[in-house]
Amino acid sequence: MDYPIWNLVFGGGVLIGIVAITHVLVSHFAIGGGFAIAFIETLAVRRRDPALRGLAKRSSLMLILVSTVFGAISGVGIWVTIGLVQPAATSALIHNYVWGWAAEWGFFILEVATALAYYATWDKVRPRTHLLIIWLYVFAAYMSLVVIQGIISFMLTPGRWLETHSFWDGIFNPSYLPGLALRTGICLFLAGAYLTLAALRETDRTARVGMVRLLAVFQIVGVLLAYGGYRWWEHVLPESVKAIFLGSKALLPALASTRYFVLWALTVYLLLSLFALAAPRLHRWPTAVAALLAAFAFFGGYERLREGSRKPFVIRDFMFSNGILVSEIPDLNQRGVLSKAVWAARENPGPEGKGIAVFRAQCASCHTLDGYLSIRKLVAPVDPDMLNGILATMREEGNEYVSGRYTDKGHVATDKLDYPLMPPLVGTDDEVEALASYLLTLRPSNVAEANHGK
Amino acid sequence: MENSLIPALDPAPLPGPPWLFHVLWVVTFLFHLLFVNTVLGGSLLAAFAGLARTGRREIRTLFVEVNAWAISFAITFAIAPLLFMQVLLGRFFYTATILVAWAWLGMLGLLTVAYYLNYVAKFRLRAGKSAGGVLIVEAACFVVIAGIQVTVNLLHMQPARWERVADQAWAALSDPTFVPRFLHFLLAAVAMAGALLAWVAVRRARKGGATEALSGMARFGIRAALVTTLLQLVDGFWLLLALPEDVLKAFMRGGPATMVPLTVGILAGLLLLVVLAQIADPLASPAKVRRVAELIVGAVVFMVVTRHQLRGIYLASARANEQVTVSTQWGALALFLVVFVVCVALTAYALVKAAKDRPQPGEDAA
Repeated sequence: MDYPIWNLVFGGGVLIGIVAITHVLVSHFAIGGGFAIAFIETLAVRRRDPALRGLAKRSSLMLILVSTVFGAISGVGIWVTIGLVQPAATSALIHNYVWGWAAEWGFFILEVATALAYYATWDKVRPRTHLLIIWLYVFAAYMSLVVIQGIISFMLTPGRWLETHSFWDGIFNPSYLPGLALRTGICLFLAGAYLTLAALRETDRTARVGMVRLLAVFQIVGVLLAYGGYRWWEHVLPESVKAIFLGSKALLPALASTRYFVLWALTVYLLLSLFALAAPRLHRWPTAVAALLAAFAFFGGYERLREGSRKPFVIRDFMFSNGILVSEIPDLNQRGVLSKAVWAARENPGPEGKGIAVFRAQCASCHTLDGYLSIRKLVAPVDPDMLNGILATMREEGNEYVSGRYTDKGHVATDKLDYPLMPPLVGTDDEVEALASYLLTLRPSNVAEANHGK
Repeated sequence: MENSLIPALDPAPLPGPPWLFHVLWVVTFLFHLLFVNTVLGGSLLAAFAGLARTGRREIRTLFVEVNAWAISFAITFAIAPLLFMQVLLGRFFYTATILVAWAWLGMLGLLTVAYYLNYVAKFRLRAGKSAGGVLIVEAACFVVIAGIQVTVNLLHMQPARWERVADQAWAALSDPTFVPRFLHFLLAAVAMAGALLAWVAVRRARKGGATEALSGMARFGIRAALVTTLLQLVDGFWLLLALPEDVLKAFMRGGPATMVPLTVGILAGLLLLVVLAQIADPLASPAKVRRVAELIVGAVVFMVVTRHQLRGIYLASARANEQVTVSTQWGALALFLVVFVVCVALTAYALVKAAKDRPQPGEDAA
């Protein structure tokens, strides 16, 4: 919050979501696709099968165009967007995991070099060397997932890190292994789904049937692994996280619907993969594209679920989505949030700007004025007493985070709070009053009165 | 200076000694810059290859083939300096990027377009078609990206300019050093790509390639390097004199630590000019062409050090009260070092095998 705030009509979180989901679809294919190509070329060499070799060769161009071009750029894109939208969280992650990211970068060097070398050496080197290059690629690509999964899962389940601040406690957090199993499954089924499209271009019917069947196995194994990983992931989540999207009274119904969507997408995908295995001759473009879309739907939905279930934090139990640290709540209540949010205060100077400044500092990371999660729409039905009551409760809830009265295995039991999905309101009495006054000016009746008075 | 707008230092301690982050930052940035210069200069020379008397197609083909690799490596090698820089100066860097957020985000779009255009040009040239228009657009994208990078770089180290830029984003371009610095970047990139072009032509000629086209490539490369190095000499002094007075004074008073890298860098540039002027027929002077490449890389090394020192001077007052705590994560640091060494070794091994392993007569190729 002590950074400038970037105004985005559709919200910063949505931008991060778009870039991140695009990147993970590509990066997981880069891992699984590499493995599938390596596996297929190995089979081709052993069986002296030119059709399988052709499939590996055709797919390798897609691999480098997707992996070394789009994957690399969208990976940097995540850095760019999180730095713009969540600079404080990015800084916190960098300070804890710079060596982890640096290790991942080491794997990237090997991954990029071997991907390019693999494509460039078709028809040039001996098969054994070509296979060595692609298997090195597979190793590097998968190891990059092994590292980054630690950091991604840390944000939702920091576990013992909250007490120790140890690099290893953060990496090997409670949802690390479940997430890794889930993502490994995703890598496999995405590879199967993409490569099936390449296999369908095979003109030899017998060869095509064999390829479709082989890739169906990839997808079935991937789906089963992903399903197991997903269930395991759900199992290890703290109760307050589960409460957001699980159970008949989920705190966030939209996220609960996402969960159903995710599981149905996986079911449809499994059925399509079984169909491809049982009737490979009938598995053509329409069903193959449907399978790919189901794969995307599952993965995109899961990412949405994972991100959404972190509410109201960006790093659970450590930093809220507006950049405020749990540990700084008492200090900000005493000194005022605008003592830290200097950019918001600068943009809206004077007593009349205080309310807007408090809104910008604490609410604008999720709420826009008229666009995504429009604050104007949210305050429209609220009267002054009700608004003051809501703000007072939200402010009191800050104490719950600090006192830890509602805890669940070391986590703040956010589900016990009245506003479990929102960061608590922090700041001085003056600031809270200023925020209330500002929010009341956004109500339609108030706008109408103001216009009438002119 | 408006220090009140500078975000607070991250409360977490540094996970390693600051000197180590500085060393890793400078070293990895050097590699990043070598790839960036190849990409930027190469795409510009490919776009302007029409100015060459002979070997135009070969020049374009060489650079699109090289860039297919170099762009990937430029991006990959951007990650490390970006990481290490964020550990040390994240609060300055994030603020600068947010102030020009759309441009910073737009850089990704430009990069994607430029990279795919490079592949479009590659496949068009392989198919015997022309690619001049595609290459011009590709080069334009990289030039704009370079401009955005220079803008953010200048902005992150001058917090006193932040308020003005927050009020009017275009003010980000109003720094007096912007133009000479941007030119410095472009000229260095073209000089390096020119040297690379000449060096490749010389190597191919030694292996018995088509001499007329190779001669055209080599002459074009040497001429580009000569012209840009001449201009660089003027621009370098412009840049030095355009620096804020306090920064220039502090730099000059830095003693051997600041003056030696700068002097060696300038001398390398002057020597480069002398060697370039002596090359009448590049194919007949392979040793001199090689010397040109060595001098350019040498100049880049020293200029990277100077650039880093200048940043420190720019930010000195803003960081004067910084109370940095260090808590080295030894295990994680060891993990990085082991992974890095193993991966670099495996990369070298894979690339050597890819370059040297060839099937024996009667043996199948992959």
